[in-house]
Amino acid sequence: MSFKKIHFLTGCVVVTLLLTACEGLFSGLYDNDKLTEQEQEMAAAAAGRLYVDASDWEKWYYLDIQELRDSVNALKEKDSTAVYTYRWKEYDIPMERTEASDTPTGIYTYWYDVFGAGISVNERRDFYPTIEQPMPERWSIAVHRNNVRTNGASVYETGYTSIADLPGGKDAFTDCTFIEDQWSEKDVWVVQGQMLSGLIGNQGIKINPVLSQWLLVSIPPMPPQFTLNNHVFILRLNDGTYAALQLENYLNSAGKKCCLTINYKYPL
Amino acid sequence: MKSEKRLCVLSLLCTLCTAIVAQRADSVFNLNDVVVTATRTPKLLKDVPIQTRLITLKDIERTDATDVQDLLQQEMPGVEFSYAMNQQRHMNFCGFGGQSILFLIDGERLAGETLDDVDFTRLNMANVQRIEIVKGAASALYGSNAGGGVVNIITKDGGKPWALNLNARLARHNEQRYGGNWTVNSERVANTLNFNYNGTDNYSVKNAPNPQALVYGMVYGDKTYHVKDKVTFRPMDGMKIVGRAGYFYRTLSRTADNPERYRDFSAGLRGLWQMGSNDHLDIAYAFDQYDKSDFQEIARLDIRDYSNVQNSVRAVYNHGFSGVGTLTVGADYLHDYLFNKNLAGKNCQQDAFDAFAQMDWNVSTRWELVGALRYDYFSDHRNSHLTPKLTARYKILDNLTLRFGYGMGFRAPTLKERYYNFDMAGIWTVQGNPQLQSEVSHNVNIAAEWTRRKFNLTVSTYYNNMTNKIATGIPYYSPEGNGKLFLPYINLKNYSVCGAEMTMQVRFDNGFSGKLSYAITSEHLPQDKDGTTISNQYIPARTHSLIARFDWDKQFTKNYGLSIGLNGRFLSAVNNEEYVNLQDISQGSKSVCYPAYTLWKLSTVQRFGKAVRLTLALDNLFNYVPTYYYYNAPVTDGISFQAGVSVDIDNLF
Repeated sequence: MSFKKIHFLTGCVVVTLLLTACEGLFSGLYDNDKLTEQEQEMAAAAAGRLYVDASDWEKWYYLDIQELRDSVNALKEKDSTAVYTYRWKEYDIPMERTEASDTPTGIYTYWYDVFGAGISVNERRDFYPTIEQPMPERWSIAVHRNNVRTNGASVYETGYTSIADLPGGKDAFTDCTFIEDQWSEKDVWVVQGQMLSGLIGNQGIKINPVLSQWLLVSIPPMPPQFTLNNHVFILRLNDGTYAALQLENYLNSAGKKCCLTINYKYPL
Repeated sequence: MKSEKRLCVLSLLCTLCTAIVAQRADSVFNLNDVVVTATRTPKLLKDVPIQTRLITLKDIERTDATDVQDLLQQEMPGVEFSYAMNQQRHMNFCGFGGQSILFLIDGERLAGETLDDVDFTRLNMANVQRIEIVKGAASALYGSNAGGGVVNIITKDGGKPWALNLNARLARHNEQRYGGNWTVNSERVANTLNFNYNGTDNYSVKNAPNPQALVYGMVYGDKTYHVKDKVTFRPMDGMKIVGRAGYFYRTLSRTADNPERYRDFSAGLRGLWQMGSNDHLDIAYAFDQYDKSDFQEIARLDIRDYSNVQNSVRAVYNHGFSGVGTLTVGADYLHDYLFNKNLAGKNCQQDAFDAFAQMDWNVSTRWELVGALRYDYFSDHRNSHLTPKLTARYKILDNLTLRFGYGMGFRAPTLKERYYNFDMAGIWTVQGNPQLQSEVSHNVNIAAEWTRRKFNLTVSTYYNNMTNKIATGIPYYSPEGNGKLFLPYINLKNYSVCGAEMTMQVRFDNGFSGKLSYAITSEHLPQDKDGTTISNQYIPARTHSLIARFDWDKQFTKNYGLSIGLNGRFLSAVNNEEYVNLQDISQGSKSVCYPAYTLWKLSTVQRFGKAVRLTLALDNLFNYVPTYYYYNAPVTDGISFQAGVSVDIDNLF
């Protein structure tokens, strides 16, 4: 074949290829359809993991770790290869104003210097009372975006980055300093409508300051920066049992933030 | 008789000298360079009927610019790049936003936009031969988005049988730039392969307390990679076939484990055929795909959330009527596909077709008239436009030229502006508007250029009146009472911008040259259709801006030359009327003053032989540090030392 013919044919192939590329080329570079949300949830559950989409600003999602243990064990007795998907129980954050009560429960509006020094510079601007946060009868921890609460438990942050590396049993942690939940009125962001003016409504509620460190949100910069802390956290439940928790990922397959994949071990 | 003869000889000599001086002055100021953008036909710069600003290869080398933003800020008064939301770059070009200035590479449009502007980092200056800037409405030749002008970036063609250039530059904040350009050229085939990398780290900046408007505290650096190849095949005299392919990749880390990625794939095939002395045909096919994705480091997932794909075919035919003028006719077809996860239906597409004709008439040796008419059709909402243009050049004297004209400009609503539905972190939903009308502008301009010996002066002024300008309007709460806030795209009421520019240049034989450019711009506050003054979507143009450049160049020996340059820019303060509370406009507005600033750069270029150039520069010479990093503050935190080296390997031997 002559040189000219090769050039001509090559040109034709290139032009044909490009002309048919009305919706673009190289879609194989991307992973958009790699995992659906449901598949991701299944994959997470399969390996001693939990998955929850905790991105909603106005909801708390509750986990009962004993129920989880019992359900997984029951399922494994029937079928050792079966995958258990835990259904987190979701409860709306009360947003409606109520009559003032003796409790400090409610929505606290803070101004944050989001476009200047950052959220460490802030001041309280408003408060209105709401009813108490509803919750299930039994629960161990609850998550809301980057916030975590416990049901009377306390938490210690280890230096381990894998649950498999933890020393055997709970005894290794009995002398450690565990921190209980503490009152907060400027961490649980629930109203974002005035964010451009630096005003954010927060739920006044107790959260665990240690476990909430597993996903840090910092400003500056703007937009906020999310930083994952992959340390293993030890949870001492109010019945004296221990669990290990580790945040593995905070993004779902579509890139949505605060979709949490959590590694766990219970009991230790 | 003798004295008559003497007089004749003297007058002949005088004419000759004047012609030589004029010729020399023309070449000193590049007025004999051929440009193509103003009329889509090759013309000498001094003969173009529309004021065209030429940035030559020498200018680009002198500024040591990395990309078009870096270059235009140093070369053009009235051009300002600022941040828009999320630190995306927005350009204000003498009162025109990025959506009204059409950027072309070798005459081809670019796919993709962010907040109405193209990705300026795509337009790096490696392998660029020259840039032609035509100010004023050019929609009669270039269609939508050319209401304020056209910036056409012309890349290099092969020259020497082979050439290889390698270059590098280091600067503050770990800025690293590396490039390579390899050219081979034979009688029939030429190939140019270009690679370029540029990277800068993130760094934080400090603001004083109580800023009056939005500020940023972190500058996000990025890493960009360009690979481009261009093959030119000349099967016979007068015919040229050009094939090209390019890949662009940029990554930016606002969040360490979730970096943003930007990619562009471009390719094209173009045939140029000079059919005899009077006819020329240009046929081109272009493909451009611009993607945005977010990479999840933890899950190793690369999730694409935006893709704009443009396929276009174009034909332009020129016929010259010997001595009378040139007729240009042409047509384009463009298929525009947009995928955006924030579009109402995730993806949409449209076809665009146009046909245009232009007559360039040399009325006399002093007068030239150009008239053009173009018809555009967009399949989305069956939108069509007829766009005229009329310009004239009058050579009052051999060295004094007057140019004036009227042009209509238009911009069809983009698919994004029509179908967007973007929940911006719950703050509000940016809402597309399918009923948007096209922007239409009327532009009149007048320019004078005078050249004498080592001195060149250009003065120009323009007035632009725009109807139906497309912008985001006043935020409103959902009538359903669910507390949701919407920021809609709307057509604004009449909107105008006017301005003037003056540039003085001197170039002496002793190696000294200087340039002073001043621009004054006046943007009127936009109003919606009800006559309500609304806050500008972007910070408006600064009223006064000045560019100054002084160079001294000397070749000391055969193997050593030195060039010293000092260039600076001054931008006046600008006031902008802004809502006190963007989410509650009932609180009224306030005037925010964005301060003036001036930045200077001192650079030296040392030439060792013909092959090696060493560049040392002090950017932000007077160590200007903004008190507040407002979105239009210069992106600098103080003086920066730059060191670069460029080696022409082929000249080493």
